[in-house]
Amino acid sequence: MRPLLDIADLDIVIAGRRVVRDLSLTIAPGETLALIGESGSGKSMTASAVMGLLPPGARIADHARLRFDGALLKPEDDAAMRPLRGRAMAMVFQDPMSCLNPFMTVAGQIDEALQRLGTAAAARQRHGRLLELLALVELPDPEAIAGRYPHELSGGQQQRVMLAMALAAKPRLLIADEPTSALDATVQADILALLKNLQRTLGNALLFITHDLAAAAELAHRIVVMQAGRVVERGPTAAILDDPREDYTRKLVSTRQMLATPPQASPVARVTLPKPAEPVLRIEGLVHDYPARRLFGRPFRSLNGVSLTIAPGETLGILGESGSGKSTLARLAIGLAPAAAGEISLFGTPIVGLARLDRNLRRRCQIIFQNPYGALNPRLTIEAAMREPLELLGLSGPDDRARIEAALSDVALGPEHLARYPHQLSGGQRQRVCIARALLSEPELLICDEIVSALDATVQMHVIAMLKALQARRGFAMMFVGHDIEIVRWVSDRIAVMHRGRIVEQGPAATIVEAPAESYTQRLMAAMPRRPEMTKLIIDSEALPNGAASLENH
Amino acid sequence: MARIVAVLASLLRGLLQAAFIVMLTFFLCRVMPGDVVDVLGLEGGLTVEQQVEMRRSLGLDQSLPRQFADWAGQALHGDFGRSIRFDRPVGEMLATALPVTAKLAALSFCFGIGLALLLAIAATARPSRWLDATIDFVNTWSIAVPTFCAGVAAILVFSIWLGWLPVIGGLLVPVLVIGVDNAGQVVKSLREELREAVMLPHVRTARAKGLSPWRIAFAHVLPAAMPIVLALSGLVLGGLVAGSLTMEVLFALPGLGSLTLNAIHGRDYPIILAAVTLIAVALVAINTIVDMLHRLVDPRLA
Repeated sequence: MRPLLDIADLDIVIAGRRVVRDLSLTIAPGETLALIGESGSGKSMTASAVMGLLPPGARIADHARLRFDGALLKPEDDAAMRPLRGRAMAMVFQDPMSCLNPFMTVAGQIDEALQRLGTAAAARQRHGRLLELLALVELPDPEAIAGRYPHELSGGQQQRVMLAMALAAKPRLLIADEPTSALDATVQADILALLKNLQRTLGNALLFITHDLAAAAELAHRIVVMQAGRVVERGPTAAILDDPREDYTRKLVSTRQMLATPPQASPVARVTLPKPAEPVLRIEGLVHDYPARRLFGRPFRSLNGVSLTIAPGETLGILGESGSGKSTLARLAIGLAPAAAGEISLFGTPIVGLARLDRNLRRRCQIIFQNPYGALNPRLTIEAAMREPLELLGLSGPDDRARIEAALSDVALGPEHLARYPHQLSGGQRQRVCIARALLSEPELLICDEIVSALDATVQMHVIAMLKALQARRGFAMMFVGHDIEIVRWVSDRIAVMHRGRIVEQGPAATIVEAPAESYTQRLMAAMPRRPEMTKLIIDSEALPNGAASLENH
Repeated sequence: MARIVAVLASLLRGLLQAAFIVMLTFFLCRVMPGDVVDVLGLEGGLTVEQQVEMRRSLGLDQSLPRQFADWAGQALHGDFGRSIRFDRPVGEMLATALPVTAKLAALSFCFGIGLALLLAIAATARPSRWLDATIDFVNTWSIAVPTFCAGVAAILVFSIWLGWLPVIGGLLVPVLVIGVDNAGQVVKSLREELREAVMLPHVRTARAKGLSPWRIAFAHVLPAAMPIVLALSGLVLGGLVAGSLTMEVLFALPGLGSLTLNAIHGRDYPIILAAVTLIAVALVAINTIVDMLHRLVDPRLA
């Protein structure tokens, strides 16, 4: 059968840098091809090239040949591409909130796509078709949704609207560029299921771009793995997952495998500790309100009666979807935001109502944030950034430099990084600097607020493996806030599941994940994309990072 | 409902500001050395007794707060008093001056914003060195050349060298001068805003839908830039009130600016206060309208 899309020798150059090199792939009619890679691997560029939507400054080399249903595509000729877009091929993007026009109702935006089809249909017919489309993407009450603006919809609803819009013309090729990565886990699963369903009923080919191996495994017939602009491996989904040939693919696959086995190191640390006399952190009935945004408005209650304790050396995972209040909880626990009611005691000292923590308390508990790009001052060298906490906490001494070097070597960064600025480091390196900085004062409690969610999958694993190894050696307690079930489970001894400002369930990590009692937790766990074969795979001991020592520089 | 409350709240804030401006003006007038009687006395050679009598009849001998209270009480009833110099009702004098200023301001505003939009949209739709150079030139012109200099130059060129237009009474030249000045103030920001707006994700979505460039420009790019257009328009309109003052004097237009300036020279308090009140209220109205339009354009603000 003639392939629907045939890309041969695609080279994309931006400012002299080849972001995609010699890429060739084909998609048959009705087939799903997953293009997998980490950020910067060129997968989104490839999709943009097919649609002719490359950013200004990006150029396609002359020898590249892109064919759609046998006809040559000219991606750089906007006028030639326009008749194809929104008719034969359509695209769904990553962040539905910013990809929908905020000034137009849902109906207006879908109607635009329908008007383009040229079937001089009357307004009423188009409206009927519009409602049909909204029902097709399984939106409840299409009539009401049609009249709303994008900001009045949830993330999942927005992405469904995007899909409805893309499907308006019954395209033969649908390109989905990370359609679920901006969404919560439960919503992600729904959207993936919807994509699969739609394809079965509509029969379109799907180019599915993702960084998430599990999602690709669920959806795709074939997988193409990209790294640094090149295709490193390709083949049927099962073959790639079961028998990855290339080093990079093995790493991708093994990072998920690593999560299936608990870290060996963590229990050891706690056994050596004496019987805990008092918890490092005790929270009782904590309430927090975000102030009302307008006069007479009701404040938003982000935390509603949260109680928990963390014992010395213990890791408590806080698992929740966006908006569940988990990050607010992390900030309150360390006195960065005021509580409306409830009690927080850090190492036995009540901190609610304190204007600021004293030096000693601040030394004993540290926090690491989600975004390593924002957490480091771009104008300070790594050494200066790491000196700061020492000086502020009054720990400065003549051996500062040696201590900073030792802290960096703990996170597998050499002293050559001291003189560098944050922009000269990769995301993973930056987050490791943040970890090293937080550990300089030898805290007894480390609060990690989504510390790996901004990083690529393989880097995520390195960072958390390193963190666990450090914890095993130093014995600090952790509050690990996250939304990725597998990661939180891997890191934590106990897990508290948060939903709408409350802890719905709390218990040992394995129990929460394997045998959740509450219905919300059950739904959350069911949404986790999981392939039975993946957990059954023989664990390749070589690929498993056992601690900081085996880590490469990422 | 929430929309209306928000607009009313901003209107109330604006009116309070206006009241404060008027109060400040009242006291500043009295801080200036010499009052209206001194000025008339110098011109008309009034005796000291006549001056004292005049101050008493005008109520100028009373305490300042008392005078302000009296004036405010009458003004709230719509009575702005009589001009001391011309002995005519202030309301009547304003009514003849206002249309001149309003016409000048409206025409210059439309010309200025229109020119800026035209240049910015053209430069975004068809990027070219020439258009960018033109935008830079207009921008630099408005920063470097004060309107009164440009006005004098325009008189020289159009009226004296070319002999095309009457210098006095014609609106064309002042509108050109103020309009170009306004355009220069906003064109650069507009250009940048549009440059960013075309890169927005939802504009890419519109392209992926295969819409025509015109449709993309008017339905997707311009709405995204509208908040900035509105904010800049508000600023320009506010500046026009000050701008028209020099232009009216330079081109001898009998507008609000000329009237106010003469009143300040003559210490004609009722006219100064009435004019300032009018201008302050107009500014509040402009702000409120801009705010309302902003809410209308952007559904997220509702």
